[in-house]
Amino acid sequence: MPIFLLIRVLAAVLLLQSDPNEDILKHAIGLQQTGDTDGAIDAYRRYLAARPNSPLALSNLGAAYSRSGRYLDAIPQYKLALKLQPNPAVEMNLGLAYYKSGQTALAAATFERVHKAVPDQLQPTLLLADCWLAMGRNRNVTELLAPLADQRQDDLAIAYLFGTALVRDNQIARGQTIIDRILRNGDSAESRLLLGTAKLSAGEFPEALADLSKAVELNPKLPDVYTYYGQALVRTGDAAGATEAFRKALEANPNDYASNLQLAVLLKDEQKYDEARACLQRALVVRPGELRARYHLATIRLQEGSAEDARAELEAIVKEEPAFTEAHVALATIYYRLKRKPDGDRERAIVQKLNAAAQLKQQQGLNIK
Amino acid sequence: MKLSRRQILALATAKLLPGAAAPPLFEEVPASVSGISWVHENAMSPEHYLPEALGPGVAFLDYDNDGWMDIYLVNSGPCDFYKPDKPLRNALYKNNRDGTFTDVTEKAGVSGGTFGMGVAVGDYDNDGWPDIFVTAYGKCILYRNNHDGTFTDVTKKVGLETPGWTTSAVWFDYDNDGRLDLFVCSFVDYGTSAHVSCGDNKLGKRYYCIPRFFKPTASFLYHNNGDGTFTAVEGGTDIARSLGKGLGVVATDINNDGNLDLFVANDTVQNFLYVNRGPDKAARPGSGKWKFEEMALPAEVAFGEQGQPRSGMGVDAADVFNSGYQDLFVANVDQEMFSLYRNQKDETFRDVAHANGIAQSTRLLSGWGLKFFDYDNDGSVDLILANGHPDDMIELYSPAVKYREPLLLFHQENGKLRDVSRDAGPAFYNSWPARGLAAGDFNNDGRLDVLIGNNGGPPLLLRNNAGAGNHWLGLKLEGVTCTRDAIGAKIRWSAGGVVRSRLKNSGGSYLSSHDPREILGAGNSPKIDWVEITWPKPSGKVQRLDHPPIDRYIAVRESA
Repeated sequence: MPIFLLIRVLAAVLLLQSDPNEDILKHAIGLQQTGDTDGAIDAYRRYLAARPNSPLALSNLGAAYSRSGRYLDAIPQYKLALKLQPNPAVEMNLGLAYYKSGQTALAAATFERVHKAVPDQLQPTLLLADCWLAMGRNRNVTELLAPLADQRQDDLAIAYLFGTALVRDNQIARGQTIIDRILRNGDSAESRLLLGTAKLSAGEFPEALADLSKAVELNPKLPDVYTYYGQALVRTGDAAGATEAFRKALEANPNDYASNLQLAVLLKDEQKYDEARACLQRALVVRPGELRARYHLATIRLQEGSAEDARAELEAIVKEEPAFTEAHVALATIYYRLKRKPDGDRERAIVQKLNAAAQLKQQQGLNIK
Repeated sequence: MKLSRRQILALATAKLLPGAAAPPLFEEVPASVSGISWVHENAMSPEHYLPEALGPGVAFLDYDNDGWMDIYLVNSGPCDFYKPDKPLRNALYKNNRDGTFTDVTEKAGVSGGTFGMGVAVGDYDNDGWPDIFVTAYGKCILYRNNHDGTFTDVTKKVGLETPGWTTSAVWFDYDNDGRLDLFVCSFVDYGTSAHVSCGDNKLGKRYYCIPRFFKPTASFLYHNNGDGTFTAVEGGTDIARSLGKGLGVVATDINNDGNLDLFVANDTVQNFLYVNRGPDKAARPGSGKWKFEEMALPAEVAFGEQGQPRSGMGVDAADVFNSGYQDLFVANVDQEMFSLYRNQKDETFRDVAHANGIAQSTRLLSGWGLKFFDYDNDGSVDLILANGHPDDMIELYSPAVKYREPLLLFHQENGKLRDVSRDAGPAFYNSWPARGLAAGDFNNDGRLDVLIGNNGGPPLLLRNNAGAGNHWLGLKLEGVTCTRDAIGAKIRWSAGGVVRSRLKNSGGSYLSSHDPREILGAGNSPKIDWVEITWPKPSGKVQRLDHPPIDRYIAVRESA
């Protein structure tokens, strides 16, 4: 999805006064317009130190943070701005910050508010649909998009989301009609991406790979196309191809959490720890505190021999997620390396219990011939 | 242009002998030459019962004690889900000492009759004649050697009736009483007449259900009573407590304490490392109870680097890096990569597969039979891997992964293993549904040949042509106070100023059994200065041979 960053430049210029603080704001806006995001952030913060209740500066600072991938820093700025002055455009940016930082439920709630405020605007509607898809609320998506799909039959983005939701909601015949409509309009990267991601979700990996490969061929610049292509390559056993795909995804969007994480895992397998660490650190900028990224970072430290460094982080991880089996394995290993046998034995017992539970779960639901 | 070692050799040979090409390192001996016409029947059915995918095992053994390695091959057979159209049998091929073999199965009485999986050869009654234990989906069989070219099924009589689905087995003397005990890997609980099914795949076809869905089971340890019978060691041991899905096992000594330990590869659950702690001090004195401590996780050989259990299949152990300690190996399924665990000398290991090029070479492969061996007799340990994906429809789901896979050969150079498969010969360019693998010198030229069992196909016999010009000494050890097979003997030898050592392990690979002789590589040194044998407990005696003969096999009997 394209990043929706609104800088209310015109409004800002009109409001600016000859106050020295306003010069700082003017300077900040100038820096932001010329692409000096770090400089703009610094200037906005200086301005806000003097004028903490400026909705404009707050929302622009949020936009600058978003621009540099610091979505978690952007969110409180947007929220403060909205508290001072409700504004659908800023709320939209807040939703995007949630969306890009992987906080899908919060993003959905925000987009839903924007959608209700400006029901005629397509972008919040589509983003809301996309979030609901990610949350598995397929029926909500079909209800949201059905009227639009009828009204705007040529809109591929609507058809793309609507078709995906129908397929995932097991309304296969209806979904196929929509997908066919997309395909009748000519082969497009968007339609292939739609088909590919739907097939990835359904576990049809070789078929997904074929569609995503075509999507890449048709439009390699389509957002997220290399991320999903990389995922399909991982699922079909081509680790080298996946590594290349994730690298391309990150060339287009260095803040792509999924590509950073999955590339890091592949690099870790190859013991390219420095590069893997850089990817994980980037992933954590986008989604601070994400357990999976923190786990991989900690185990890199373990592999490099820094058991004590890794220990504290893994202890924190298992405290937050007690059922994280792999983290317990790593923690047990560390305790044994540190000659803390009772602690190692305790973690080992947890691993055995979690694995036994997983085994039992896997046995359930199978047919008996 | 950079030439490989093999290409240089080929060029050099061509210069010396115009028109002649160097033989490949390993050369396939076709059935038309060897006379081995037996073909494995995997019983493949539309229902895709999992036992179909896992066999067969193979063995080198000298069943008639004539000094030449014979061959035993395991077949499937009737069971609760399979009724063969025609009679199926295992096969025993007698070595004719001229590169050919003769099928003597019927005469020998070792045809099986069960859904066979693997084979473990050992002289359990210390009479100097190898006996054969066959694992199975269904009924295991112990064939006792009658010393006259025939065998007798003594399974029930000796107490080795083993339930369920068994895979690899290993003969070893865990309590150092001079008698071979038996460990038998148990795979999954596959049910009785009602088998778990994972349903149909997206093609609407049944497929081989991933073992993850089946219940794990405990493996079996049998104590040799010394009167021709065995007793199952049950209850209170880590072996009985540990529920796994065992496919491969090797008996070795990871801490040099003289007690044989077990490393077990499990499929979709963690591997097990049973460290033999000697008599159980918590048990009543004189009870004969022995303590095995399962410590794969503390030893760092239980899980993959991502902390997840992998699909362990083949295993082996050897002092790969001449450190005096045993390193371990486990082969896994595709995407998991295989592991080479270097012994840290403190009962822990570190995976050095990546540093040795093994992880990179095995990402897309699924490994079964394997062997650490010095194929060119240069004195350093090399490695061969037999591969093949268990799922016959894998290419439909994962196009990069193949059902039939290539063999891999690694040569050790300057303390590192290097993938030399591309230079190893046509057999390494082809792909196979390989499972069991055994190493053995069938033509007594001092070079270990290789026998591979293919799932649903004929076996592959590879003659070793490597190491021309290198010298060797073959030892056939004969224990007196220790087991006759001298499992656990430690051999040191000096050649060309280099001292090397080897532990006579037992088991390893997958479903298979190797030539029991030990071949000591001397490289280009024309002589071996000395050989020192530390016999296993109970004697633990050290026996030295100064200036032994070279380039031949000798028998060495444990001194009184």
